[in-house]
Amino acid sequence: MKFFDCNASFGTPMLRPVRFAETAQELLEEMDYHGISEALVYHARQRDDSPVVGNKILLNEIEGIERLHGTLAILPPQTDELEKLDTLMEKMRTKDVRAFWAFPSEHKYLMTRTALAPLYDLMVETNIPLFISVNQSCGGISGWYLIENILSGTPDLTLVVTEHGSWGHDRFFRPLIEKYDNLYLDVSRYELDGGIRDFCSRYGAKRLLFGTGFPAWNPGGPILTLAQADITTKECEMIASCNLEQILRKVKV
Amino acid sequence: MNQSVLIREFMEKGRSESCPVIDMHAHLGPYQGIYFPNPSVEDMIRTMDRCGVRMSVSSSHAALIDTRENIKMADVVRKHPDRFRAYWVINPNYPERIGKEIEQFSKLDGFVGFKFLSDYHKYPLTSPRYEPALKYADERRLQVLMHTWGHSPFDSPTLVETLAGKYPNVVFLMGHSGYGEWEKSIQVAHDFPNVYLELTAAYAVNGVIDWMVKEAGSHKILFGTDLPWFDPHYGIGCVLFSRITDEERHNILHRNAEKLIEPYL
Repeated sequence: MKFFDCNASFGTPMLRPVRFAETAQELLEEMDYHGISEALVYHARQRDDSPVVGNKILLNEIEGIERLHGTLAILPPQTDELEKLDTLMEKMRTKDVRAFWAFPSEHKYLMTRTALAPLYDLMVETNIPLFISVNQSCGGISGWYLIENILSGTPDLTLVVTEHGSWGHDRFFRPLIEKYDNLYLDVSRYELDGGIRDFCSRYGAKRLLFGTGFPAWNPGGPILTLAQADITTKECEMIASCNLEQILRKVKV
Repeated sequence: MNQSVLIREFMEKGRSESCPVIDMHAHLGPYQGIYFPNPSVEDMIRTMDRCGVRMSVSSSHAALIDTRENIKMADVVRKHPDRFRAYWVINPNYPERIGKEIEQFSKLDGFVGFKFLSDYHKYPLTSPRYEPALKYADERRLQVLMHTWGHSPFDSPTLVETLAGKYPNVVFLMGHSGYGEWEKSIQVAHDFPNVYLELTAAYAVNGVIDWMVKEAGSHKILFGTDLPWFDPHYGIGCVLFSRITDEERHNILHRNAEKLIEPYL
């Protein structure tokens, strides 16, 4: 089975994890050890530093590495720190970047349409997915309330929520899964016994994406959980790689 | 991919005949803040079969709230003697019950010791309210599974260290391995022969298992899942893909626990 990790990072984070990959090459070695074919990646500096700095570092470090697919961290357009939208799109086209990450906790901005409408509209128009950890917060709003806040403003946005935690989030996310067709969850911390099978029996496998949360989390957990999830081989393959590949194929940059 | 025989077996079959997993930290039944697809005894046995878990040592969720529910675990062990052993929950909020409960405990088979949930019960492990249970456990070399969390005022690894010296005959299982305060937890497990690191939730932190094995030794680490919370495959996968040997994986997943539960089989 092919594993395509939707949630991996490399670089030197400000807060040292127990284990991490400093370079793209080290991340590739981690992927080889775990049997992971490809990964959608961000650099620690995209989150811990300004995206102006981090986005450039990421694109430089992964240049020419076919197994690693880049993402860009966003900022609200009103401060003109990142490129204008048409220039940004041109850069995404030339560098084959097909996804955004939002880190509002670190970068301090609102995720409402008041702040991000032009970016949200661009994402909807071009099917570019936005990734965000459910542990992020902005302006006093956090967790699933933040996720619903984003989706209620832009319901057609392709939003991938990562690291939804091991302490029982189904009661939070199931109503949102039912309401928003383009909401996806990564399974990096979907540890709930029978969780993946139960989710698939109710919603199908289309809305789950394989992710590891590397370097913070041990990739072995989601790998064995998915490989033995008591779902069909087809559902397993959808989660392991096909769903993410389909999301990225639909992007019109 | 890593060439471990155990990894290959678990990835292909979901279980390993040579590695019959023992879960030293399990529960049973529904609970407050979480939806469980598989909360019943029968559900848990199905999960255990699927994941190659030979035996679970459990405390019921209901007993974490009301200790009068402890007695029901005796029935579970009686019905499924090959699959379950139990912990008796001590709740320090009701100290007047503890003496009578220890007496009740002493007359029952199937229990390996006590379970403390100090972060939730809001009394520190060093509270005099735990003393009757600890003295009793010390006299009989019983196990005490404690929820432990880094820097907690109720159950940090530093508090475990205090108890480990005071009650040298108690086998202390640091549930969640003092999550987050790894260096201290590993030091306590290394320094005290009667303290073990238990992996529930801790296994997910990338690199922590390698660190524990290197500093405390694989003989001081026990596997657990909080079942029906966490799919055993998640924790097993974390152990399997850590940078350790298959011998060390065997120690963590079953051999150490086999030695601890042997007197209760």
